[in-house]
Amino acid sequence: MNGYIIRRNMRYFVLHLFLMSVAVTCLFPLFYMIRCSVMDNQTIFTDKGILPSVVNFGNYATAWVDGNFGTFFFNSMLYTTSVVIGIVVISSMAAYAFSRLSFPGRDWFYYMFVIAMMIPLPGSFVPLFVLMNKLHLTNTKIGYILCMINVGLSLSVILLKTFFDKMPSDLEDAARIDGCTKWQIWWNVALPLARPAVAVIVIFNALNVWNEFILAQLLLSEEVHMPLQVGLMKFINVHTVNYPIMMAGLTIAAVPIILLYLAMQKHIIKGLSSGAVVG
Amino acid sequence: MKKIIALVLLVVMAVVGCFFWGCGKKPVNTNEILIWHWMTDRHQAFETLAQQYSEQTGVAIKIQLFAPPDTYSQRITASAQANTLPDIFGILDKKEIFADFIKYGLVADLTDEYKKDDGAWEQAMFPKALEVNRFTADNIYDVKPGIYGVPIDVTNIQMLYNKDLLEKAGVKEVPRTFDQFLAAVKKLNSVGISGLVSGWGEIWLADAFASNYAFNIMGEQKIMDTYQGKVPYTDPDWLKVFRVFKTLSEAGAFAEGVVTKPNKEAEQDFALGRAAFAYNGSWCVNVYHDMNPDLNYSAMLPPKMNPDRPMKIWGGAGSSFVVNEQSAKKEQAIAFLKWLSAEKQQAYLARETRNLPANRKALAAIPEVLSDFAKVMDNTTHPTIWKYNELPKVTEAFDKGLQSIVIGEKTPKQVAEEVQKVKEREMEKQRNRQ
Repeated sequence: MNGYIIRRNMRYFVLHLFLMSVAVTCLFPLFYMIRCSVMDNQTIFTDKGILPSVVNFGNYATAWVDGNFGTFFFNSMLYTTSVVIGIVVISSMAAYAFSRLSFPGRDWFYYMFVIAMMIPLPGSFVPLFVLMNKLHLTNTKIGYILCMINVGLSLSVILLKTFFDKMPSDLEDAARIDGCTKWQIWWNVALPLARPAVAVIVIFNALNVWNEFILAQLLLSEEVHMPLQVGLMKFINVHTVNYPIMMAGLTIAAVPIILLYLAMQKHIIKGLSSGAVVG
Repeated sequence: MKKIIALVLLVVMAVVGCFFWGCGKKPVNTNEILIWHWMTDRHQAFETLAQQYSEQTGVAIKIQLFAPPDTYSQRITASAQANTLPDIFGILDKKEIFADFIKYGLVADLTDEYKKDDGAWEQAMFPKALEVNRFTADNIYDVKPGIYGVPIDVTNIQMLYNKDLLEKAGVKEVPRTFDQFLAAVKKLNSVGISGLVSGWGEIWLADAFASNYAFNIMGEQKIMDTYQGKVPYTDPDWLKVFRVFKTLSEAGAFAEGVVTKPNKEAEQDFALGRAAFAYNGSWCVNVYHDMNPDLNYSAMLPPKMNPDRPMKIWGGAGSSFVVNEQSAKKEQAIAFLKWLSAEKQQAYLARETRNLPANRKALAAIPEVLSDFAKVMDNTTHPTIWKYNELPKVTEAFDKGLQSIVIGEKTPKQVAEEVQKVKEREMEKQRNRQ
């Protein structure tokens, strides 16, 4: 009996040691970012302590003011919200159609979506810029939003189609008997059931849009349209980096996405574990 | 209820969309000169100068920043395709791409402007700064000979010395010859101070150091003959170049881990007084200022091995602007660049951004350490302006060989023989391809 308890405790100890080391590996960069965000450019290279000897919260104010974070923050919020709403609405309708409706060229269109996912974004920069320029959508918020919706659609459609494929058709039959149209089934039955998958799509795409800046630099010219990540680049010079201010800026930029993750944590875990992303 | 929410959502999206679509169609100011650049650290200074220029001339200047440089290059390429390049921009790619821009009629030829007033504009600039923007009569790109860009600043790679550490070790004179340098290292080591630190983990820096000594030991012609395959790497002069590394290594001149250090780490070592000498580019003035504003240092040429030949260091134009040939405001754009590269504005840029000015007349009005760097611009050279360049595989073998010598893995003779073997193999491949 004692031997069993010892073995069980040892197993738990090793397991927890491993899990703790994984947690530390994940959390240490965040801790290091916050630690450096309250130091100055000289002590950042000399102060070897875990906690900084001198703390300067003024870096956050400097980052906010010098980086013009007010405008960038608003833009990032707008882009993230619009793009995520756009992706969820379009991809859920498209995925439902691919999964449940029968129409000519259905598989062909679906595979086109899958193939689109294989094209790396940098590879499409030049044609995308030329196209947006012809449409007079360069340096406009709507142009950037449309491009970002397009970027996130493929993966989202695939994830949701996988989810809808596994959904029992009896529920839809019951709704149909109750007199629901296709739109009503999508809105009242399919979408609420797909909540865990939608949560995964929301967090994946929110993270993607929030962190994106290359396409923004390509399509947008005026600072009033730029997202938060462009503001962070202000602290990276050609040969030098203002580390404390940049770390303060990164911390500010990381907060919304961490909050979003915490708010949707339950659905995301459910979505991931219920096969939303396993295909 | 859900229908109402959906309807409201759609209406909100439509209104937001229409609003922002409308925002995109702002009227374009046709009297404004538009500049796109990538230099984050110079943006504020450019803005200030643009403001001054507007007040003086009434010409509005709009400056837009796109960083980092990779993203900037992508934007320039995409804009060239869409024919939406601004009036003034920079080309950060290889000279081959620069040539393509010229051949497609996207870059203005500034030669006549440089020659005006007996060549006053050209003479004010460091000749080496213009080289990067110049296409000579025998250029291999089939570009009409001329000068196509305006250098904004220059860079070069030299040695730095920490004045306080030299004084602490009792080194009275800054070493000018190789023997003096070895003697200084001996004194430094005796008091526990490391000698030379550099980021040779980024191997091109070690390559630049070797190139400096190759120019000093054998001169440019013999180096070009080697690249053409006329002189082998086993030649006694090349052996001398390899021996520089062996001698320095055996004398304990290198700081620990020099061959694996990234330059950022090497910069920290020098800035924090962990080594008395560094081999670094002029951009380090900015870096050291951020890391340790009190660092007491200056620049020096690598100490000569051969007293009869000059020590040539790598350097040239740092950043350059070009004028859009298709711009309706081409003349105003050129006038602005002339003004920006004039003595007063160059001195201001150097003071504010700690970069070396491209205008040689600005030297008197800039900080001493920058002036020390800039004084030797006439001693600079760079692979981009050489008539011949070494084959990439040979350069790789050469650089790895340097690392092997420093860590004592191979002798100079072994490395020379290995590099020569690679050279012969690569030349054979090249001949077969032809």
